[in-house]
Amino acid sequence: MARFVVRRLAFMIFLLAIVSIATFLLFSVLPVDPASLSCGQHCTPEKIAANRIRLGYDQPLINQYFTFMKGIFAGRSYGEGAQAFSCPAPSFGYSYYRGQCVTEMITNALPATISLTIGSAIIWLTMGIGLGVISAMNKGKIQDRVSTGLAIFGLSMPTFFIGLLLIYVFIIWLQIFPFPSYTHFLDNPFKWAQALVLPWFTVAIVSAALYTRLTRDGMLETMSEDYVRLAIAKGLPRRKVLVRYVLRGAITPIVTIAGLDIAVLLGGAIITESVFGLPGMGRLALNSVTDSDLPVIVGITLITAFFVVVANALVDILYASLDPRVRLES
Amino acid sequence: MKLNSRTKFGVVVAASALLLSACGGGGTSADGSGTPAKGGTITYLTIAEQFNHVDPQRNYTGQDLAFFGSYVNRTLTSYAHAEGTAGAEVVADMATDTGTATDGGKTWSFTLRDGLTWEDGSEVTCQDVAYGVSRVFATDIIVDGPTYAISYLDIPAGDEGSQYPGPYKATAEQQALYDNAVSCDGKTITFKLNKVVADFNYTVTLLAFAPVPKAKDTGEKYDDAVVSNGPYKIESYVKAQSMILVRNENWNPDSDPVRHAYPDKVVVNFAQDQAVIDSRIIASSGEDAFLVSMDGIQPENLPTVFGDDKFKNRRVNETDPYALYAAINVNKVNCLPVRQALLVALDREAVRQVAGGEFAGDFADGFISPTIAADYAPNKVLDGVQPTGNPDAAIALLEQAKTTCPDVYAKATGEGLVYDHPDTPTWAKNAAVWIVSMKKAGIVLKSNPIEPGKYYSVVMDEALQGDISRGGWAADWLNSSTVLPELFGEGGFNISQNKKDPAYAAYKALMDEALAQTDRAAQGAIWKKANQYALDQVWAIPTFFGRSQEFRGGNIGGGYLWYPFGSHDYDALYVIQ
Amino acid sequence: MSLDSSLAIEGKSPAQLAWIRFKKDKVAIVALVFSTIIVTLALFAPWVCALLKIDPYSLDNTTLDSVGIPNSPFGGMSRAHPLGVEPGTGRDILARLIYGARTSLTVALIATFFTTLLGVILGIWAGYKRGIVDGIIGRTIDLLLAFPSLLLIISLAPVMQPRLVSMGFPEGNPARMTYIILILTLFGWTYIARVMRGQALSLREREFVAAAQASGAKTSYMIFKEILPNLWAPIIVYASLTVPGYIAIEATFSFLGLGVVAPTASWGGMLADSIRYFRSDPAYLFIPGTALFLLVLAFNLVGDGLRDALDPKGERAQKV
Repeated sequence: MARFVVRRLAFMIFLLAIVSIATFLLFSVLPVDPASLSCGQHCTPEKIAANRIRLGYDQPLINQYFTFMKGIFAGRSYGEGAQAFSCPAPSFGYSYYRGQCVTEMITNALPATISLTIGSAIIWLTMGIGLGVISAMNKGKIQDRVSTGLAIFGLSMPTFFIGLLLIYVFIIWLQIFPFPSYTHFLDNPFKWAQALVLPWFTVAIVSAALYTRLTRDGMLETMSEDYVRLAIAKGLPRRKVLVRYVLRGAITPIVTIAGLDIAVLLGGAIITESVFGLPGMGRLALNSVTDSDLPVIVGITLITAFFVVVANALVDILYASLDPRVRLES
Repeated sequence: MKLNSRTKFGVVVAASALLLSACGGGGTSADGSGTPAKGGTITYLTIAEQFNHVDPQRNYTGQDLAFFGSYVNRTLTSYAHAEGTAGAEVVADMATDTGTATDGGKTWSFTLRDGLTWEDGSEVTCQDVAYGVSRVFATDIIVDGPTYAISYLDIPAGDEGSQYPGPYKATAEQQALYDNAVSCDGKTITFKLNKVVADFNYTVTLLAFAPVPKAKDTGEKYDDAVVSNGPYKIESYVKAQSMILVRNENWNPDSDPVRHAYPDKVVVNFAQDQAVIDSRIIASSGEDAFLVSMDGIQPENLPTVFGDDKFKNRRVNETDPYALYAAINVNKVNCLPVRQALLVALDREAVRQVAGGEFAGDFADGFISPTIAADYAPNKVLDGVQPTGNPDAAIALLEQAKTTCPDVYAKATGEGLVYDHPDTPTWAKNAAVWIVSMKKAGIVLKSNPIEPGKYYSVVMDEALQGDISRGGWAADWLNSSTVLPELFGEGGFNISQNKKDPAYAAYKALMDEALAQTDRAAQGAIWKKANQYALDQVWAIPTFFGRSQEFRGGNIGGGYLWYPFGSHDYDALYVIQ
Repeated sequence: MSLDSSLAIEGKSPAQLAWIRFKKDKVAIVALVFSTIIVTLALFAPWVCALLKIDPYSLDNTTLDSVGIPNSPFGGMSRAHPLGVEPGTGRDILARLIYGARTSLTVALIATFFTTLLGVILGIWAGYKRGIVDGIIGRTIDLLLAFPSLLLIISLAPVMQPRLVSMGFPEGNPARMTYIILILTLFGWTYIARVMRGQALSLREREFVAAAQASGAKTSYMIFKEILPNLWAPIIVYASLTVPGYIAIEATFSFLGLGVVAPTASWGGMLADSIRYFRSDPAYLFIPGTALFLLVLAFNLVGDGLRDALDPKGERAQKV
């Protein structure tokens, strides 16, 4: 097992390195010149060139890459003389557009995104697995039809339309909720939840639909396995069989997928956050794109990739510890 | 003065502006009327993530100038805090009077009052003013601000810009060049200019001429925390969250006859949704009665707010100083009849409808806003121009173009002209209106949406600019010397690319004549001619003179549109006690 | 009819059998009819609009009040404008929906074709060859999944579109649509590839494949002539379930401003615009939104029906 963990973690680090290089290469083709963006009105080519040197964009790409990577571990300083300032480690660069260290912007945005992710994950896992179980246990009956019907409805709703619809119905029409304005959990837990309920459901509906299907299909498949049939034939109580054998068998792949989905969400739910005006990673990302704020885009891409790669590795390790066959296979 | 990109371009991603509830309810009876009094807290709401710039030398949008000029930064002279055209009057602020011009207007001196202090209690000196102005020359760090100091001060020009590189890098000799142009004698500061600037005392109202204490200058980072010499100081500033201003105990009211400093505390909450702002202020209940919108009102709520008398003391709807237009890239469309055809074909009624109808502004007949009363006269617009467009007249003009400039004609009617606009749903509809009205006249137009944050940097780069680019501009002070040279002359905002047009020489002569004219009335007469000339050449198509709406909660009094900036007069707002 | 067909089972091909099963699924049939109608409307948009006397581009100020809100209830529905008008311009919403469907379906169908093509080839290749090929393809999938695809797509759009233009794609909408199709293909093929890999892995153990291999057939021959023909059913199912997802993604892109440029109509663009008129003109949210939902739902139901008919025991395509 230890060998498997070491190998898996090594691959994780390798993947992270590849991802960071790929990100750097991808964005180096952008025609947006950060030097000209931080130059302002009455800009001359000479000024842009001077800026480029000041910001380090004149360096070969490989040097820029190493400076950047070094910044993550050791922090990075900018400017010279009395005007110098620095972004402490882990530094993902400095946004000249916003005049802020990228790491600071990301740490400011993370609480909202984490709140959104955790809340919606609880909702979609409960709803999805619950409906899936009901559906599978009553295959072909009315419960199954309703559940699968709901699932296909959920799957057919584009996220942004769900968000707009919830806002219209609950805020404008029924006026159940006030205009959400995100409050930090520690400041006021009630307002925090109030602002997040609709976004939670917006994210959860599509995923819940998907997990309903996964659970249903997974359970039906497990039910047809020999060991389950045997257990039933032996006369074990139905509930016990369901919980001990069927659900456990069906849930493992779901946990795998959930791990990845949650990691992706931690990188920011662009649509939901911008529809609801949540000050999270997704909105930060979208704002940076419209502002062509390159350092922030690169920072968010890397952070998101980091979450996904790490989650992937953790899930694999978890999986391997549960199922010895995985270790042997790879 | 630059157009604040967020208010006039609409929200970057429409999605962030959402959420409304019905108005009404609310437990407050305050209706926005009262008498000015000190005390209380005013809370501003804005969709912006932060101020464009806090650093006075980098501050250049109307709203930010009005805000910081009212609360934080004092300049030698500033505008009167008064309603209507009275607000356009220049008054002595840090200086004892509005300046003394000698040498026919080539040398200007101002004497500082007694009792001027920084927030730490130390004295504001003449050297602080000189140092502040010198920062404008550090064009690698102090970006985005107005550069009048560079173009006016008598410092020899170098290969690129001025020979003086700003205080951060200057050698002793270079610093001497600056010190020669800007000198201090006790409390008197003297500016030597390289030409006659008859209204230099208007120029110095810009925050770019505000003092900065050299010892506290942090360069790039000064944009996050400035040292105040006004009635309020910055207690905290967290981007995307809030800025809190508290009273500057070291501000001496006796030294400041300009500002009222009513509230005890000023809070700005950033990153709000426009619809949330509107709804909270419409309801104006409880604490929301102390709110003020920094972003006006979104179109769909205008009928609500302006249709009901209960809002009459809380709303403002005035012509602002902005002239909106679509610049034509004259290098590419170097054919007058085609440009004229574009002008007459445009359905301006529909363009205005998309922007919000009567609330968007009044039809413009030129590029000088009527708010610059001295320079404005109604222009004679080309025959055939009608509010809803006149395709027949356009077709006739194109017929002329067919023979006089076949290349441009072929492009306009075949391959098509490119229309640059910010990439937002509202501007997409604006583009659609343009395309449809041109099509009626047989002109092909193609939409070129540009990310809003990059819009101006793209269209100001001639290689990337299309054939028609929309724009908006307001005077930096009430003189067209800050409008026409910027739009169609040597200024930094020329997106008409008209300098190679044969008609440019005559126009340049007019501008030079106006700039040299020291008699204001005579100067105004020349600007009027130049305005008509630019319109006749159709270097740009004027669309409308902007209007702005402002909106505040029931417990806030004193709101009006401050004439020079087209924004709130922040100093005049008070909490109704 | 049903009696006849059940009697004559031995004469039916697998496709006919599947069709018989599909026909029994009433919901799927309704969905198929609905999707077919929309596709037909989109295909013949100019004629349909001419017939209904509507136009997606012409302005109609008479339907708007002074600030640009439709001046009659339900978003300005009338005989002249069956589904109302767009606030601000008075353009006909039905006509814009029909033209918008063109863009939507073009992107979704072409992207599905390329996604499936790439996924099938790479998947079968990986499953059939195993070893190093399988490893490279597998790691590529890992890498692609690690990237925040939506963020990359929107941030790279301003770079890639001009590149496409310089590669000879016509400027404007064709380049924009090509970009979306390419990017959907690039990020979308991984799921179908994994399914195909699994199928190929099990097929290569079968006798007929072993026999062909023993006779010295080339890899390309093996993939296209021996393995592929056995996988038509799952391919059709996965392709049909990819289409609705892509329709939704295309709408999401145009909602974010990545779609076609003015004055061309797009569903997502209308929804993005509707936000500013939430209170004064809710019909402008509901009509395009419902249309989008119904179209995605219909394609989903058709795909489900196909899945049940062709492959009763299968999984679902990747979510948006």
